[in-house]
Amino acid sequence: MLSNFVSYILQGTFITIAVTLVALPFGLLIGLLLALIHTYAGVWATRASAIYSLLMRGVPPIVLLFILYFVLNSNWFNLEPFWAGSLSLGIVSSAYQMEILRGALLSVSGGQMTAARAIGMSKLQAIRHIILPQALRIAIPPWSNEASIVLKDSSLVYALGVPEILRRAQQLSATTQQPFLAYGTAALIYFVLVFATNRALDYLSERSKLPANPV
Amino acid sequence: MKRLFTLLSLAVLVSLLLGACGAGATTHLDKIKQAGVIKVGTSADYPPFEFVDANGNKTGMDVELMAEIAKRLGVKLEWVDMPFDSLIAGVQQGKIDMSISGFNYSDERAKVIDFSDQYFNSEDAFTVADGFKGTIAKPEDVAAYKVGVQTGTTQDTWLTDNLVKNQKLPEANLFHYDRADQAALDLKNGRIDVMMSDYIPAQALAKQIGGLKIAWHGAAGSGGPMNIVMQKGDKELTAAVNDIIKQLKSEGFIDKLANKYFTVK
Repeated sequence: MLSNFVSYILQGTFITIAVTLVALPFGLLIGLLLALIHTYAGVWATRASAIYSLLMRGVPPIVLLFILYFVLNSNWFNLEPFWAGSLSLGIVSSAYQMEILRGALLSVSGGQMTAARAIGMSKLQAIRHIILPQALRIAIPPWSNEASIVLKDSSLVYALGVPEILRRAQQLSATTQQPFLAYGTAALIYFVLVFATNRALDYLSERSKLPANPV
Repeated sequence: MKRLFTLLSLAVLVSLLLGACGAGATTHLDKIKQAGVIKVGTSADYPPFEFVDANGNKTGMDVELMAEIAKRLGVKLEWVDMPFDSLIAGVQQGKIDMSISGFNYSDERAKVIDFSDQYFNSEDAFTVADGFKGTIAKPEDVAAYKVGVQTGTTQDTWLTDNLVKNQKLPEANLFHYDRADQAALDLKNGRIDVMMSDYIPAQALAKQIGGLKIAWHGAAGSGGPMNIVMQKGDKELTAAVNDIIKQLKSEGFIDKLANKYFTVK
């Protein structure tokens, strides 16, 4: 019976991973785009992306979850709980990832852009071939932090009834009256996931380190 | 001439589309029967009404009752598990067709959703630890103690409206829990003196956790009929479900279920 319970919680792991695998890359895509806009585009685009970042970092993720699932709901727009949950976590994360990447972009010295332009590169070419390859490397350690936050925040999708780790732990705690066993199992799974993610990103950071530029 | 033809054919197309829409405007019940599936929401963390068993399957009185209702509606039953707080929003927004999750009738809820006829009548209970020294002769007596309650339940509303608002029970002495079992555990650990909940789950919790007893039970004004939650104005589905509830009551099906799940062994 006990092993059944543990395996019931374990089944939620796949959903937790799936939510994270949607939210993180989605957030990275939007975050990177907005970071580039904020750093290199004109005044109005910069302001717009700053306002986006301010708003999305200010809204509690659960509120955004409810808006995407319950409020934006009509015949032609009707998200499944999994997608509403994953996308809203991705949107919130995009604001944080934008700030991480913006910091990384700014930490590549301005002289490099000037030098790239001087040898005849366009601004886009300079960003793509000179700035981004360095900035993305710098961004890995703080991004690893964000990745573990999104992984744990993925438990919020339980509010929409997505049976991830925490929701299953709750149900078992209610059935068995053994909260320590149920939540302890959940905590252990989260720890293993976060540990593995961080180690993998540490490895990536180590592997991609530039010989000339020991950041 | 060519233009006129285009316009005419456009008009025909539009009227056809509208006609199709008109024919498609069937009732919610028709749509469910057409799809052959009914999506029912529940919060599977409230034994013995709804919970998951050792194999992760949903079970409980509400769960078995709904399985029978779906069978008699002639559709497949699809469970949607949500936290209790999300269920009414789910029904309102049509994310689920209806919800059964130990809902008691309340006027506030009835403003935003419709209720089926009652399928079961529940009472409130005040549960205390075995060593409890005080007395609870009537519901208002709990104002003297630290009281625990599950957030969002009718008991929560009753305590807030009848004891907290008129300052009989200090707000700091009302403890809110996500689930009744957490309140029961705190009761056993002495963090609270009294737990207010439905009578039947209280019996089950006292039995499972041990060292607890029911100090008082009856209708404190918040307990009472349990109903299935329907979308506002969904008359056809409500009527169909009410018919089935009536049949099941007269066949003794619901009594049998109640005995199966609520008898304290």
